[in-house]
Amino acid sequence: MNPHPSSCSNGRSIRTRFARRFLRALKKIGSKGSSSRPSPRDISWRCRRVKIAADASMASAVGPRRVWSRTMLNMLRSRSHACLHASRLGNSRRPGADRHAVGKRKRLVLKRKLPNRLGLNQVNQLRRLVPGGEAMDLDILLDETAHYIKCLATQVKVMRSIVDYCSA
Amino acid sequence: MDDNGSGQLGFQNISERMLNCPSSGLNNALPEKVAGMATSSMAMFKSPHGGEPPYGSDWGPIVSMSHSENFGGSSMASYGGFANPSNPILLENRGMSNRSHLVHYPADPNRTEISPKLSVFGSGNFSQMINSFCLTGYGQTSDAIGPPNYASNKSGGIDNDSIDAAQAHGDFHISEERVVGASPNGKRKASDPSSLLDPNENAEGDSEKDLSGETSEQKEVFEKKQKIKQNSEAKQKEAKDDPKANYIHVRARRGQATNSHSLAERVRREKISERMRLLQELVPGCNKITGKAVMLDEIINYVQSLQQQVEFLSMKLATVNPELNFAIDQILSKDILQARGGGTSIVGFNSGMSSTHPYSQGFHLGGVLGVSTTTSQYHPIPQAIWDSDLQTVLHTGFDSNPTVGSSETEL
Repeated sequence: MNPHPSSCSNGRSIRTRFARRFLRALKKIGSKGSSSRPSPRDISWRCRRVKIAADASMASAVGPRRVWSRTMLNMLRSRSHACLHASRLGNSRRPGADRHAVGKRKRLVLKRKLPNRLGLNQVNQLRRLVPGGEAMDLDILLDETAHYIKCLATQVKVMRSIVDYCSA
Repeated sequence: MDDNGSGQLGFQNISERMLNCPSSGLNNALPEKVAGMATSSMAMFKSPHGGEPPYGSDWGPIVSMSHSENFGGSSMASYGGFANPSNPILLENRGMSNRSHLVHYPADPNRTEISPKLSVFGSGNFSQMINSFCLTGYGQTSDAIGPPNYASNKSGGIDNDSIDAAQAHGDFHISEERVVGASPNGKRKASDPSSLLDPNENAEGDSEKDLSGETSEQKEVFEKKQKIKQNSEAKQKEAKDDPKANYIHVRARRGQATNSHSLAERVRREKISERMRLLQELVPGCNKITGKAVMLDEIINYVQSLQQQVEFLSMKLATVNPELNFAIDQILSKDILQARGGGTSIVGFNSGMSSTHPYSQGFHLGGVLGVSTTTSQYHPIPQAIWDSDLQTVLHTGFDSNPTVGSSETEL
C-alpha cells in the first residue's frame, strides 16, 4: 500500500516541477515553429507535441513512484522510439493507433451489460482512463486514481494560468 | 513503535486503576480514566500515519457513543472534549463512518490492540474490558476490527456505509467477542452487565451491544438491546454462537465465516470503501453521493473532463505558443510558480503584446468560450474548479469562434 502523499506541500512541489518542465518543453516546441502563420497541419502537430509535453512533464514531475506515472513514462518512451523507427522505415502508423485498436477490442468485449451490482462497468472504464490501470487491483486502482486526479487538476491549473498569461 | 509500547503500558496501568475503583463509583471515576486511555490510544494511532491530516473529529462520537452505552449517558459530557477536530488521531478517512476507521490499519499489531480496548468500552462488561486489556495479544488482528456491518453488507461497502454512518459506533464491541475466548470467564460477574448497561436509548449502536457469545447473560443483554434495529440482519447473523479463531492478521467477527478467503475479502472490501471515501473528497460535488456505482460514474466523468481540459488547453497553447514564446518563459516560470493557478500576478503584463496579435487573441477568446462549452457538454463541472479569472473572461461575452470546434475535431 503506497503511502498517500497528499499533503499540500507535496502538491505545491509537484506543481512547480511540472510547471518548470512544461515551460521548458513549450519553449522547445515554440522554437521549432518558424512561420508566422502556421498551417492547420502545423497547428495540429504542435498541439500533439504540446499534449505530449504536458503528459511527459507531469509524469516526470511525479516521478516513478506511482504506477500511473511509470506507465505513462514507458508509454511515451516507447511511443517516441517507435515513432523514430517508424519514420525511418517509412511507416506512418503510430504506436498509439495500435493501442487504440487494442482498446477498442477490449471495449467491445466489456460492453456486455452485466448486472452492475459491484460497478464492474465503471471499474473497467476507470481502468482504461487511468494509465496503467488494467493491471491493478481495485484498491490500488482507486489509490492511483486519487493521485492521478490530483495531478490532472494541477496540470489543468498550471496550463490554464499559462494560457491566461499569454492571452491576457 | 515507541509510542505504541508506552501506550500499552499506559493502558495496563489505567486498567489496574480501574479495577480498583468501586463499581458504584464507576460512572464518575471512569470517564476521566477512559478519557486518558482514549487519548493515549489516539496518540498511538497517530504514529503510523506520519503525514495524514487529522481526522480526529470522528473519534469523538465513537468514544462518546461507546461510553454512553456503558455509563448511562453520564459520561457523554466528559467525552465532549474528545470531539474536537484537533484530535491527533490520524485516520485515513475523514468522511467515512466512524466504524470504518479501525478497519484499515494494516498489520500493525500494536495498533490493532488499541481498537479492541476502545471498543471494549462499547460493551457493558467492565471486567471483560479489563480482561481484554490484559489479554489482547500482541501481533494479532490487523484489520478485522471493522464493524460487523461490513460483513452484512449485501450491496457493497458504500451503500450500507452511508446508511449506518452515524450509528455503528457500537460496533466496537466486536473486540469483546474475540478476546473473550481467552479471558477467564470467572471474572465476569452476573450483575455487571446489567448494571453497566443502561437501557440507553442511544440510537446509534444499541443494537450492537452483542457482547461475547459465550455467556448466557451476555446474550440476554444483547437481545435486550436488539430492540433498536440498526442492521438487524447483521445482528441476527451475529447471534450465532461460534467463537472465532484467533487469526494472525485478521479476526473474524462474530457470526462471520472463518474462511480465510472471506476474511481477506472483507478486508479488501473495507480498503476499497476507504479509498472511495478519499476519492469522494477529491472529486468536487460528491459529498452527497452514496453508492459505489454512482460514485465511480462521477469519478470517471471527472477524470474524463480533466483529460479533455488538458487536451484543449494544450491545443490553445499550441496556437499561442510561437508568438509569445521566447522572452516570456523566464518570466512565466517565476510567475506561474507563484500564482495559484489564477494568474492574478500577471494581469497587467501582457496587454501590450496581446494587442499586437489580433488573430491569436481572437482565437483565444473564442477558445476560452469553447472551453466552457466543451466542458459543460461532457461534464457539469462544478464551479469550484474553475479559476476566477476564467470566470471573468467568460463574463465579458465573447462570441463563439467556429474555428475552435473544427480544430478540436482535428485532434
